[in-house]
Amino acid sequence: MAEAHAKHHDYHLVNPSPWPFIGSFSAFIMAVGAVMWMKNLAVGGLHAGPFVFGAGLIGVLYTMLAWWTDVIHEANTGDHTRVVQLHHRYGMMMFIASEVMFFVAWFWAYFDASLFPHEAIQYARAQFTGGVWPPKGIETFDPWHLPLFNTLILLTSGTTVTWAHHAMIHGDRSGVKQALWLTVALGLLFSVVQAIEYSHAHFGFSGNIYGATFFMATGFHGFHVIIGTIFLAVCLYRMYIGHFTPTQHLGFEFAAWYWHFVDVVWLFLFAAIYVWGAGPSH
Amino acid sequence: MASTAAQAHDGHAYPTGWRRWVLSTNHKDIGTLYLLFALGGGIIGGFLSILMRIELQEPGLQIFANGQAYNVVVTGHGLVMVFFVVMPALIGGFGNWFVPIMIGAPDMAFPRMNNISFWLTVSGFCLLLVSLFVEGAPGTPGFGGGWTVYPPLSVTGHPGPALDFGILALHLAGASSILGAINFITTILNMRAPGMTLHKMPLFAWGVLVTAFLLLLSLPVLAGAITMLLTDRNFGTTFFDPSGGGDPVLYQHLFWFFGHPEVYIMILPAFGAISHIISTFSRKPIFGYLGMAYAMVAIGVVGFIVWAHHMYTVGLSLDTQRYFVFATMVIAVPTGIKIFSWIATMWGGSIRFTAPMVWAIGFVFLFTVGGVTGVVLANAGIDRELHNTYYVVAHFHYVLSLGAVFGIFASWYYWFPKMTGYVCPDWIGKLHFWLAFIGANILFFPMHFLGLAGMPRHYVDYPNAFAGWQYVASIGSYIFAFSLVVFFYGVFVAFARKERAADNPWGEGATTLEWTLSSPPPFHQFETLPRITGSSH
Amino acid sequence: GVGQPSPWQVGLQVPVTEVAEFMHWFHDGLLWIISIIVLFVLALIIYVVVRFSEKRNPVPSKTTHNALLEVAWTIVPVLILVIIAVPSFRLLRLQLVTPPADITIKATGHQWYWSYEYPEDQNGGFAFDSNMDANGQPRLLAVDNEVVLPVGKTIRVQVTAADVIHAFAMPSFGLKIDAIPGRLNETWFKAEKEGVFYGQCSLICGQNHAFMPIAIRIVSEQQYAAWLTEAKQKFASTGKAPMAVASRADAVSAE
Ligand code: HEA
Ligand code: HEA
Ligand code: CUA
Ligand SMILES: [Cu+2]
Repeated sequence: MAEAHAKHHDYHLVNPSPWPFIGSFSAFIMAVGAVMWMKNLAVGGLHAGPFVFGAGLIGVLYTMLAWWTDVIHEANTGDHTRVVQLHHRYGMMMFIASEVMFFVAWFWAYFDASLFPHEAIQYARAQFTGGVWPPKGIETFDPWHLPLFNTLILLTSGTTVTWAHHAMIHGDRSGVKQALWLTVALGLLFSVVQAIEYSHAHFGFSGNIYGATFFMATGFHGFHVIIGTIFLAVCLYRMYIGHFTPTQHLGFEFAAWYWHFVDVVWLFLFAAIYVWGAGPSH
Repeated sequence: MASTAAQAHDGHAYPTGWRRWVLSTNHKDIGTLYLLFALGGGIIGGFLSILMRIELQEPGLQIFANGQAYNVVVTGHGLVMVFFVVMPALIGGFGNWFVPIMIGAPDMAFPRMNNISFWLTVSGFCLLLVSLFVEGAPGTPGFGGGWTVYPPLSVTGHPGPALDFGILALHLAGASSILGAINFITTILNMRAPGMTLHKMPLFAWGVLVTAFLLLLSLPVLAGAITMLLTDRNFGTTFFDPSGGGDPVLYQHLFWFFGHPEVYIMILPAFGAISHIISTFSRKPIFGYLGMAYAMVAIGVVGFIVWAHHMYTVGLSLDTQRYFVFATMVIAVPTGIKIFSWIATMWGGSIRFTAPMVWAIGFVFLFTVGGVTGVVLANAGIDRELHNTYYVVAHFHYVLSLGAVFGIFASWYYWFPKMTGYVCPDWIGKLHFWLAFIGANILFFPMHFLGLAGMPRHYVDYPNAFAGWQYVASIGSYIFAFSLVVFFYGVFVAFARKERAADNPWGEGATTLEWTLSSPPPFHQFETLPRITGSSH
Repeated sequence: GVGQPSPWQVGLQVPVTEVAEFMHWFHDGLLWIISIIVLFVLALIIYVVVRFSEKRNPVPSKTTHNALLEVAWTIVPVLILVIIAVPSFRLLRLQLVTPPADITIKATGHQWYWSYEYPEDQNGGFAFDSNMDANGQPRLLAVDNEVVLPVGKTIRVQVTAADVIHAFAMPSFGLKIDAIPGRLNETWFKAEKEGVFYGQCSLICGQNHAFMPIAIRIVSEQQYAAWLTEAKQKFASTGKAPMAVASRADAVSAE
């Protein structure tokens, strides 16, 4: 602690920080820009949406960078006592719990449509789907091609990240780097394969419930894969600049938790949307 | 005020001026910011409601050009009151101020994250205000589809950007609350002072703990729902559009899966605060402490499985309606435990009728009135008649405007001397109470009659037969609003007279830790953690 | 009043169907129960406030537990709720199980009026719009074209919407059902009295939500037959295609 006065507890009383305000302000700008962009609004004849949005986004990203740099700095200067580390664990677990509930919304939408494509009372839906799931005219992906491949990729990446974790605990820094390189590479591969798959889709995001639920659920998941990959890549970078010790490596641990969470969500997506929802043609 | 706090008791420099407030990582300062914000929100939300009451005072159109303008005001009123008054006041304001102190902690677990919770609320509020002034339905400003934002009215009915701003406002407010919830849960579970077991923890902290879990698990579902709304609006998806295989009712399920827990989010912290106030001024420990704590847990848990009682008329099957009727009524049981335990706490006590106490007693009674009409509505068979009538409006204002808001004012008068260090004359708080009590009942009780007689919600104009009670309600609203003048007068007097408050102005009945500190407490309390002794309950 | 609210009314509108009567009876019962609960709580509060004020009782007791009481105030509410649930479930069944219908009509909500269809196979085969009559009485309830139906017959009403959600409500029939685009909801009633009955759109649907009333005229069977003949001519010219109202089960196969 920089301040010298007597503090007889292990909690971390954080110094005043500009990031919350700057981050919130940037989020506001980003939101305004997003609406301007989506609605193609012009200010003084200029369709500034993308720029306003971009400015806000940069602010948000910069805030994240600066904020987490501060956190790492505080960790390195000893603010993260054992109890503070425990706080961080709780915080991360609950963050993941809230993310799970986010996915509940997408799964709810998906099952609402896929379990009841033929309810007579919903005549418009029944007309659209033809009473079957996947809706008539929708050509789904063969789950046993790219999706299966992606499942294997993610499962493998789950093991490599665990390998990294073990190496971390045993102080085997080069082992961590190897395993993290592999994990990041697998994460990237997953995203690439997913992009390829998307580009071969015979249905779009708009205009039909199959595409809407499919792309929203898998897209939101894909977004999480990208975030997780970045998270792991940051950990890898931090390994190179000498961060983390066998006893204190929360940043890495959280990246690993996050990655496992993303992994598990995929298994549900794979089982529910790709396999079960693939329809009789597969 | 800011500059006088430059030197805290231990002689160390603390941030001053604007930096103290904008860059704050101090739970009490952030709590103060939240309270000021909620006050501002209350004025705006109250102003919008008075516009509604002026409009409804007589049949015919008075001040609104058409129904759309009126609906925009109703929607704004609902959203402001729910997201930018009650939640920031109870959770952000009093929760921030007193949860750490009550559990004997020096601050929240994540002080910096605490601050972004506050500023995200402000950003969200700004977006909502923007939304009121940009185009919603073709040619008119603002979104006028109700705070529940049902599609397709919120998709095809409002093509303008107003609702996009509104949706993103909710996203930011939601993110703020999720972060806040994580903060509170971590703080309460990990930062209790030595000896402060969960079963010794003050009930206000229990209330906030349960609330935080409700926020954490319900808000992401709302976020999902409004995200789908956003893509339906802007990217042509058909989640809620039947012509593309979607389902408008899906939105309602998702919304109410959040929306019902949300109503308990707005009342549980008040439940907690009321317990302290009643115990303090009865000079008796709370009756049935464990039952009180677990009743809140039960309300929270059951609150997640009753959502479709808002949807009895959408065409749910017989069995589904039966289930939701039953599950909903179950909540009356733990709530009854709370009501009776409050009364039992007073029973045998030595009651002092201070301003916070009269507000608390008013709360217990008026919440009961609102609660039992909830039980009527829980019965789908009769809700069929009352759904979307003023009976529902009466129900939820009794539990919100006369429940949650009475809880806010009770807490305000209770903790005002602690937070500011000044005394607010008791008679002002009581005068405020009586005006509010009388005004609010004149305002909301006749709404039961209107609802039973069939007056629908969201109506800018109504058949002449409803004119009588609507007029009475409007008169009541002016009295209720006038009571706020008294409220502000009290605040003014306190700050003008600067009469110092004692560390514990309430006497031996006030047993929680905040009363062991100075008034106002030091910038950082408990640099040495307090040690809690004494038996568990 | 009958079929519409009356000034200073404090209760439900006069019931004209069996379902509405049941609802009245049920609501009256509930009102007794909740009033007693509220008065009981109020009495307790008044008692403690008077009896245990600082003046009357300077030394507070320290009692914080009483197992018997706590069990009692848990069990008694449970019992009350169970007692409520029994008629509540019976009422639900009565409302939601449509008996064999004599006549089926279809109501569609539009921004901001209702349209009605009388099916071909029931001597109908015409459709018409029903707009609020801006100068009619009662104000905001009167419409240009009322729905006309015979007394004492079981009427099935199918309800849907063309644009946004509306809700079809008729207080004196004890009836309210959402009109949702893409959905075919269904309800029923059997009016026991002749007369004109009014209801109003009961789900926020935009600018003129307050101005799309529902008016049903219940007449004798002869008058109904006469009206049908008249209506067929009158509404033939509206250009609306006569239709057959699909049963719910047909909705899919019709596709
Ligand atoms: C603080 C907010 C709050 C609280 C606490 C409650 C509490 C309850 N609410 Fe309320 N409600 C709202 C806010 C709240 N509600 C809002 C905002 C809406 C409208 C939303 C909208 O459409 O815009 C709404 C709407 C609403 C509906 C939908 C009505 C409709 O749209 O048709 C229903 C139906 O079941 C309902 C039921 C209940 C019940 C059973 C309780 C119970 O929790 C009440 C329990 C309490 C008691 C019963 C009193 C004390 C108990 C005793 C003294 C014991 C003995 C009692 C008995 C045995 C009965 N509420
Ligand atoms: C907490 C929530 C809350 C509160 C307090 C109120 C307060 C009031 N409301 Fe309500 N109202 C809602 C929530 C609330 N409302 C909701 C959710 C809806 C539904 C919206 C929809 O359908 O979309 C609604 C709808 C609604 C309608 C129905 C409109 C319609 O359907 O056509 C009406 C009509 O009269 C009305 C009137 C009023 C009035 C006169 C007050 C008066 O009591 C207001 C007087 C003002 C005050 C008393 C100020 C209170 C001050 C504070 C709360 C700040 C305190 C802070 C600190 C001390 C830190 N409101
Ligand atoms: Cu149609 Cu409201
Ligand atoms: Cu509810």
